[in-house]
Amino acid sequence: MSRVQGILQRRSWAFAFVLALILLVVNLIVSPSFLAPERLPATLATLAPFVLVGFASTPAILSGGIDISVGPLATLINCLFIAVLIPAGWGEWYVAVPILLLTSAAVGTVTGILVAVVRLHPVVASIGVFFVLVGIAVTISKQPVPAPPNWSEALAGSFGWFPAAAITMGGVALVWFVLRRTAFVSNLLATGESDISAYGSGVNVTLVRVLSYTLGGVFAGVGGIALSALLQSSQSSLATTYALLGIAAAVLGGANLGGGRGGLLGAFLGAVVIYLVQQLLTAAGVQPSLVQVTYGLVLVLGVLLGATLLNPRLTRSRA
Amino acid sequence: MTGPSTGVTRSLTVPLPPARGWARVRRWAVETPFIQVLVLIVLVAVLVALIPAFATRPQAAVSILVLASLLALAAMGQTLVVILGGMDLAVAGYILFGAMIASNATSRLGWPTWFALLVTVVVCGGIGALVGAACHWLRIQPLVLTLGVGAVLAGGSMFLVNGDYNGQPPEDLRALAQLTGTTFGLPIPPIILIVVLLGVVLWLFLSRTATGRRLYATGVNPRAAALTRVNTAAIWAGVFALSGVLAGIAGMFIAAFGSGWAQGTGDPYLFSGLAAVLVGGTTFGSVRGSFTRTALGALILTVVATIITSRGLAEAQSRIVYGIIILAVVALYGRERHVRDRF
Repeated sequence: MSRVQGILQRRSWAFAFVLALILLVVNLIVSPSFLAPERLPATLATLAPFVLVGFASTPAILSGGIDISVGPLATLINCLFIAVLIPAGWGEWYVAVPILLLTSAAVGTVTGILVAVVRLHPVVASIGVFFVLVGIAVTISKQPVPAPPNWSEALAGSFGWFPAAAITMGGVALVWFVLRRTAFVSNLLATGESDISAYGSGVNVTLVRVLSYTLGGVFAGVGGIALSALLQSSQSSLATTYALLGIAAAVLGGANLGGGRGGLLGAFLGAVVIYLVQQLLTAAGVQPSLVQVTYGLVLVLGVLLGATLLNPRLTRSRA
Repeated sequence: MTGPSTGVTRSLTVPLPPARGWARVRRWAVETPFIQVLVLIVLVAVLVALIPAFATRPQAAVSILVLASLLALAAMGQTLVVILGGMDLAVAGYILFGAMIASNATSRLGWPTWFALLVTVVVCGGIGALVGAACHWLRIQPLVLTLGVGAVLAGGSMFLVNGDYNGQPPEDLRALAQLTGTTFGLPIPPIILIVVLLGVVLWLFLSRTATGRRLYATGVNPRAAALTRVNTAAIWAGVFALSGVLAGIAGMFIAAFGSGWAQGTGDPYLFSGLAAVLVGGTTFGSVRGSFTRTALGALILTVVATIITSRGLAEAQSRIVYGIIILAVVALYGRERHVRDRF
């Protein structure tokens, strides 16, 4: 038992992995065709926005802060693409993708500057940005605008046997994989673990913090594109849901809100867990309100377990 | 470096010289809600200039006061949690639960108002106490735990009524919160008086009782508070319980004010409530936080929302303005220290 616990403690994502495996088996029992090859592209396309919003909230959490505004940023990018760029005739992918990614990077950078340079509390800064983003998204498209046929539909389908949703998720994972091999991620984790020590070791704490929010913004932008591919309409009303989903995915995946621990693999598994829970309950024909209850319970249980069984440095509150 | 009075000890023991001139004005402005009062006066002047009817018809002013007092009530518990250095995102869930009990349990199950109130207080208080205790004991960020608990409460409330959103709060509860209500013959709804009274009680509690001072001590430095034998666990549990109770009661009044409830009743009050706390000038773990500030923040936000609506702008634009107000106000005095200075 203690060996299992040891593995779970050393690998912060292991708990989400076990949970995801169990849920996958249960899902397969309820609907045996769940993993059928012809359903895989659609499944992955539904999963992609969850995973990407989870990815987007990870860098900020690793740096010891938190960014609540990545979910609304993804929905803003969705509204910007479908309700502004496509009607304006800028819907081609080589025009739209750079605009969308630059916008999301800019928004992320603004949040980062508010946190690291203006030195607001991360929660306050990202809630302020949250308000502004939701306001802009609703201004752009109060009612859902349906999208005309466009290139993003392909991202929800497949190229031959290859599920197209893997491009968005895989692209972000690749960026992270490369960054992991640079000093940036090491500095990011050091800053999250203890910004004072990192500062003392010569890390440019301010720059690393700002860049972590920029990175989260870019990931959220990719999430917005994946969301557009899935919905094919602009949905400004999803902002709050995705704001909560992003944090929940990262936390379930073992990211420590104190910073310095976790990674994209955890956020991926956390998002998979949330997706599988919803899938299971929908397949079982449960009311939407109970889905919300279960999602809340999973989050509470995940946090409680993460703080007790799975915490390698269990420090009972001395404060 | 000889003798006990090195630079460091001197800076710790010798009191600072009294500030003079501009520095004194600045300190005074930060320590009192001076900026908020100033902003509120300017905003009210703008409102009266735009819509002169507000000066002549008391009914319009009363409606602003009712909206502001509902917001202030919803943000009352949040104020305490923020003073403690945490954040309660379950407020929307508590509000939805209170609204559900006030509307559906009374009209469908025939519960009297006092029993509905009792159930709301016990359930929301109990859940809040558990949340506070768990956050303290296991050192969990309240942000995440309350997020999950809020989802459970909101979903649970909707599941219990099974899609029936047509319940009406009883007449006696509606008379307390609706605009046509009267207090002792005056044309002022009793909700305003209730919130003012609760505010006075809270102010006395925070500034005149030992428990209130322990709450501030825990917020500023939990470790130091624990070392001075403050029972920080009890403070955490108590504050989160109080947050749940107050938000639940706010939910009952919100349902009474709007003659019912819907799926999204709680969310605007969660975010606007948090905005009211922050705009008022209460920051995380701050000694200067108080409910007076939150009430001022609620008034400011309500007046801003009224101005925005009167200019023909939508609710979405008021969100943008809220966001900018929060960022600007907190940037004025809620900034944290640079790593360099914590070295």
